[in-house]
Parts: sequence; structure tokens; C-alpha cells
Amino acid sequence: MALNVKVGLIGLLDMLKFANLGKTRQQAIDAAPAKEITADYPINNFAKAMHPDYQKLVISEIIDHADADAKTFIFKRADGQPAAYFRAGQYISLKLPIGDSFVTRPYSISSSPKWALEGKLAITVKKNPGGFAADWMLDNFKVGDEVIGSDGQGQFYYESLRDSKNVIALAGGSGITPFLSMAYAIRDGIEDFNLTILFGSKTESAILFKSELDAIAAVCPKVKVVHVLSDEIKDGYENGFITAELIKKYAPADEYSVFICGPEAMYRFAAGEVAKLGLDRKHVRRELLGATKKVWEQPGYPQDKKDKVFKVTVRQGATETVIDAVANEPVLVAIERAGIKAPSRCRSGECGWCRSRLVSGEVFIPEETDGRRWADKQCGEIHPCASYPISDLVLVVPGEYY
Amino acid sequence: MATKYDVVVVGAGNAGISAAVKAVCEGKKTLLIDQHNLPGGCASSFRRGRFEFDPSVHEICDFGPDDNKGHVRRMMERNGIDVDWITVPDCYRCISKYSDGSPMDISMPTGREAFIDKMEEYVPGTREKMNTLFDLFEEVRAAVEYMNDGTPNDSKYMQEHFPNTLKTCGYPALTVLKKAIKLPDKAIDILSVYWCYLGVPLDEINFLHFGNMIDMYITRRAVIPHHTSHEISMTFMNRFYELGGEAWFNCRAEEFLFDGDHICGVKTSLGTVECKQVLANINPDIIYAKMMPKELVPEREKKLSAARNHNYSARMFVCYFALNKTAEELGIKDYTVFFPGTSDTRKEFESFKHIDTNDFTILLCYNTLIPDFSPEGTCVCSFTSMYGPDDWNKVKPEDYYKLKDKIAKKCLKTMKEKYGVDIEPYIEEVEIATPMTFARYLGTPEGSTYGYDLGGWDAMLARMMMIPEEFPIKGLRHIGAASFRGDGYSSTWINGDMCAAMACSELKEGGNK
Repeated sequence: MALNVKVGLIGLLDMLKFANLGKTRQQAIDAAPAKEITADYPINNFAKAMHPDYQKLVISEIIDHADADAKTFIFKRADGQPAAYFRAGQYISLKLPIGDSFVTRPYSISSSPKWALEGKLAITVKKNPGGFAADWMLDNFKVGDEVIGSDGQGQFYYESLRDSKNVIALAGGSGITPFLSMAYAIRDGIEDFNLTILFGSKTESAILFKSELDAIAAVCPKVKVVHVLSDEIKDGYENGFITAELIKKYAPADEYSVFICGPEAMYRFAAGEVAKLGLDRKHVRRELLGATKKVWEQPGYPQDKKDKVFKVTVRQGATETVIDAVANEPVLVAIERAGIKAPSRCRSGECGWCRSRLVSGEVFIPEETDGRRWADKQCGEIHPCASYPISDLVLVVPGEYY
Repeated sequence: MATKYDVVVVGAGNAGISAAVKAVCEGKKTLLIDQHNLPGGCASSFRRGRFEFDPSVHEICDFGPDDNKGHVRRMMERNGIDVDWITVPDCYRCISKYSDGSPMDISMPTGREAFIDKMEEYVPGTREKMNTLFDLFEEVRAAVEYMNDGTPNDSKYMQEHFPNTLKTCGYPALTVLKKAIKLPDKAIDILSVYWCYLGVPLDEINFLHFGNMIDMYITRRAVIPHHTSHEISMTFMNRFYELGGEAWFNCRAEEFLFDGDHICGVKTSLGTVECKQVLANINPDIIYAKMMPKELVPEREKKLSAARNHNYSARMFVCYFALNKTAEELGIKDYTVFFPGTSDTRKEFESFKHIDTNDFTILLCYNTLIPDFSPEGTCVCSFTSMYGPDDWNKVKPEDYYKLKDKIAKKCLKTMKEKYGVDIEPYIEEVEIATPMTFARYLGTPEGSTYGYDLGGWDAMLARMMMIPEEFPIKGLRHIGAASFRGDGYSSTWINGDMCAAMACSELKEGGNK
């Protein structure tokens, strides 16, 4: 190469400078003191406080409701530290040792984020048919018990960059809890948006948190609560279900976002009504529903597998366990029943926390709860919380930190 | 199942997955562990609603076309990694100010000729100098090849074949461009746009490192994966599994175990494993401070750490937006647009130190290159900025979400004002990652993704000249951005591959139990 870069103006010792790069570095190292190495960083400590592996909580108070099927549990951090800060509307995943099983359950936090700074969180649990963990908590939880919980999880929260300043919340029964937290957050100056809650209950006496909601609305003009009673006609209340007409009646004339949280039946009805409003997809957000029930009614389900029991070989670290799994339930349920501590959070196929490698075998994954990444779909990674066994399986599950 | 391995790789980031694949390619019984529940570290993806996002800027500059294959491509071909790549046709658009304060809006193409033509158009009279520069780049590329081939460097050979490289490479990039090539300031401003990918300003970054990088972007053209970086990581993982590798996720390495002064195992949250070699994709400061007996930390490592003095390189802030309109409908035509406040890289670097002074961001719109990156009728954009640690050290939980939104709004404002496109009304999904987010998922010091600062005495070239001294603990090698190749997908993959090769050859020699 004829190239000859004229470097005379830089200096005369160019070559030496190159050769000396190593020496210069060695000198810098030699000149430094041999002191003990530390690795303590505020940014990492912050991340750990916001997103600990888990939080050890203690039940500090149990509150009964007019609805005898529901109780509110108030937790305090066992270590006296602030609870992991969260966004109003998020849930915590409780990790429950029930009999020989380890199960997780997601519960929306019903308290204000402000409480978290004081080390407090609240959730509300309601009896529901077949709700094995809910019933267990209602029957067994007592003040002073220790409970393991996650940090705040999920994307069911107000985000000013995305959502309209006016939010119409559609709540059914215990689906009020994330909206109660949002209402507190608005009252406490943590969030700033206009929240109109259309709250469906059966009767006036069954309304959850009526006095709390009324108290917030009384001091905070940004929060408005409209009670909709399905089984009772009463003055001062809307009657029937939450319909498109009702939403229009309370929605502002211009733009608004709809947030939906409630039991599956309520959600399906509300979603149908919301569809009539012709809102942009970005203006409709819903809390997750949990795993698909009656999976055999899903399109594409291989009917001959229903009720069948398969062998699942579960590998976690160097441990291998062979368990039974019935085709009608998500693989995660079989793993939990076998007492294996494996991670999970949303139990709706979405968060990916239970992401596991399917080494062999086949699972059925309902389209509506297939929240996997593109490459995971190609590579045989599954979310066991939303995957149903339809053959014997070999599965590698992640570890769990509690 | 056995808990004895030849090689344990701790940390399944880019360097870790690459190292793990190399180890199984060499027939070693290998365990890969990661504290998170998916591989890739930064090279990953996440879902929100109907969208999938890539967490980081992921242009691979060291891949190259058929007739000019880069290191990464050759390594991937050798190790059986086949990804669905998309070639990036242009370098970048940059909307900013020249260092003399005049407005700048330039679009640079790839390819040597096209790049030089365009430079001549923006800064007339630079053609000859640019040709000299690219000739020098070519020599530098050959020199880097030579230095990277794994054999000891022969100084006579180097003087004969790479004289210009040797003359220039002891200097910072700015000195070479200004004093040796004598490029006008405006041309330097245009050339300096990629500086942020190394995180060290032009007056400090070693010329070889910077020149080699921009040469790769311009002459080799960058590639990006079709389906987010997670696709790349899963391709590595599939190959790893195919060759019998084992991976444990959500598994934290707690302590390195020693037999005398040789590493002999790793205590993890899923049990203790025995091994002969460890490749640790963990910042060395964390290993030495928290993961091994203090008395076994070598004197040299204590001094090195003290000299580095926790000077970690850039911390990222990224906001991700999924929009319910197409890029075309919105008027977004470019894949990458840089919006530095100034082209003076030193001033820009200084501005990173504080949240309020930072006016730098990079816009990416994936769909301009990959129309099916997101569902029909939508597109995905992201903004990436870099920060120093000071202000982030002081953030309180109750202010955190507001701060995220405040900075994201600043990015949207920059795009609206400088690019003329307002995407705010079309946001269907949004996520915002801060240094804390990276600290959470990667566990790196201060959430830095770039390892130690590559400026001054600790430049990549200087580190590479000292590879034999870099790993004083028997059986333990540091891999990843904190290792000798520095940051970036390409560098960390190559670094992982090289370190695994060293570990495997040590096993072959049987010198270690």
C-alpha cells in the first residue's frame, strides 16, 4: 500500500506511543492502591428495593366487609422497610404454601402507593366458586401470619403518555380493587387524571368499599363513582348492567380511555358493550383474566385429549421429578400441586415469568392467552400457566428465589 | 443428573451465550446459568399488548456481506448460528448543530464511495482526505484481523504491514482526524455521530477502536435481526441445546469455590456445581467484592479496580413506543436518526452527567426496515439516551415514574421539533427503561451496559495487549462488556467466543485438574 499518512504534526514518538499503550496501562494499574474492592451502587439498591426477589409480609389487620364473602388483608413488611413501590392498578403475586403445594395468586393492590412508603399494602380476597386458594386464605389467614409476595406487577395502570386524561373504569365486584388504588393515588397527588368508576354490584348492601369510595369522591373532584346494581332497583343508583349506553352517559364528549376489571362473565359482557363504542384499541385496557377455563371449548383443542392424564418430567437445576398432569388444567397447576417451587405471576399467559423450555411433548396453548415472544414460539419455549398438556412432556422450569 | 461440568458460564448475556456455544462446540460439558428467566441480557425482547419490543439498539456492524465477512459472521458460521438478518441500507441521519453552531441535518449512506460522495456534497474539498482516511481504515482493519487471530503479535511484521496504523493508533480519534488526516471540523462532526456506541468522546477514544467501528458500519453495513434481538439469543440457545448444553434460568451464582488457588465450582441458588473452568459474564468488581474469598483476590486486580475507580461507562435510558399508525402514515422515513444537542462529543458527553442538561437521543423506527416488525397498521419506535450516574443515584421511588415520563416527553418533543413528526397521539403501548431497569435485569454496576469506560489508559487496544495478564485467577475468565473487547453486541460475542476457546484449550492441555 502506497499510503503514508503524514503524522509528523502529532509527534515524533508515534510508534513508541502505540507500543507503550500496554506499558501506560500497566503504570496506571501499578500506581493505584491495592485496596479492598467494593461493589455497592445506589442505582442497583434502588432496583432491588423496587423489585426484590420477594417481599416477606406480615398480616397486620383483617377487615370484614358487608359482603361476607370478602375480606381485606392489610400486610406490613416483615423487615420494617418500605414495601416495593408500585403503580396504582398493579397486582402482587402471593406465594402460598397450601398443604403440600406451592401456589401463586395475583391480587390487585387496593391501597395507595403512598402506603407502600410506610411498608403497608392491602389486598381484598373474595370467595369464588372453585377458588381453592381464595377459600384457603379466607379460612386460614390470621393476624401475625407471614406471607411471601412479589413486587408490583402488570401493566394495568394509568400512563399519561398513552391514556386519555379521562378514564372510565368498568368494575365488577372485587374488580374494584385496582381502581380503589388509583382513586387513592389521585387523592394523594400521586396520579393526575379524571377517574369515573362505573361499579357493578348485585345490591347496595353488597357494594365493596362503598364508604371508602364515597369518602375519596367527597374530597377529590377528579374521582367520581357511579354504582350500578344488577339485582336491586334503588334511588340514586343505576340499575342493570354496564352497557354502552351507560358508558356514554358518564363519558366526556371528547376522548376517553376505558379500563375494565372484573370477573370473566362481567368482562365478556363489558367488552361486548365497549366494542359498540368504536374506541381505538389504545383506549381500551383490561386487567388479565387468569387461565382459560374449560379449555376444551377453545377452537383447535384436540377433543380426544380431554380428561387424559399425562406424565410430565420436570427438571429444575439438577433435580428431576416425574408428575401427573391432567389435560384440562395448565401445566403450572400440576407443577404446583406436586410441591415444586417454580416461578409464576400473572397466570394468564402474559408476563412470561414462568417461561420454561419444552424439551419434548406437546401442549395446547389457547390463542387468546398466548403471550409468548416470537422466537420463543419457534423454539419450544412455553408459558406453563397458559399451556395444557396433550402428551407426556419433558419440561425445564426456571428456579425460584424464595 | 450430574452436577460436574467442564465449563460453567455464569451470565447468559451476549458474551455468555456465545461462550457457552463455543464450549459445547469444543465438546465440553457445559452449564450456562443466568439470574433472569431468559437469555441474552440486553439482547432480548419483551411483550406489551399485541407488540414485541427490542430492549436495545442492536445494529451488528461486524457481520458483513459475503465478500467482506466480519468477525461475527465468521464466528457464527463456524459455530452454526444462523439468524434471519436484515441489512441496514443507510448509516444514519443526524439532526443537530455543527460544532461551530450552525444547523446540521445530514443523511449518510453506507458504502465507501457513497459515503465519500455524500461527505464531499456536505463539506466540499474533503474527497481526497476521506480517501486517505478510508485507506487507513483498510489498513487498520487488516491490523485488527492480525491482532485478533489468537497468535502472538510480531512487531516486525506489524511495522512492515501496518506502519500507518502503528503511527496513528496510539492517539485519540480526534487527534488523528484533525492533525493527521486534516479533515475540516464539519467533516469530523459528520464522522463522529457513532461515538456514543462506544461511550467515549472523540478526544479520548483510541483511534483504532473508533476507526475500526465506523469503518465496519460504513463498508460492511450493519445488520439487524428480523424478529428482535431475542431471536439472535434463542438461535445461540438452540445451538447450545442441540450440542448437549444445559441451561438453568432464574439461577443466581452466589459464590465461586476454590481448591487452593484454582476455581473448582460455583455455589448457585439451585445448588452447587463442580467445574474446571468458569467464564463469568459478571462485572469483576462484583465478583471480587461479593462472590469469592477476599484473601484470594489478586493484588493486581485490587489495583486495577482502584485505578478504574468504579468508572463505568454509559447508562441507558430507553423509551419504547408502539403506535397505532404506520411509519408511512406518520411520515417517518428513516431507520436511525441521531439527535445530539451538539456535534462536539466532549460537550455532549459532559451533558450526559445530568438529567436536565442531557439533550441527546437516538430515534429508531423498526418498521422502516422491517415492515412486519409489528401488526398491520402499526409501527414501533424507540428513543435511546445515555446518562451519567449522579442524578439517578438520587431518585426516590415516589418520584421515579414521573421522572420516566418527563424524560420520555422530552424525547417526543425533540422528535416533534427537530423531525417534524408528533407521535404522541398514536401511542398504544409504552414502556420506559432507565438505568435502574438495566440494573434490575442485568445486575451490572449502576445499570451500565458498557462495562468500564474505554477512554484513556484503559482503551480496548491496551487491554488486548495484556490479555495474558487480564485473568490472574486460575480457571476464571471475565467475559462481556467489562472484558478486553469492551461493549457492544459484536465485541461481547467475539470476546465470549475467544475466552471460551482459551478455557477449552487450557482443559485440553490438562494443566488444570
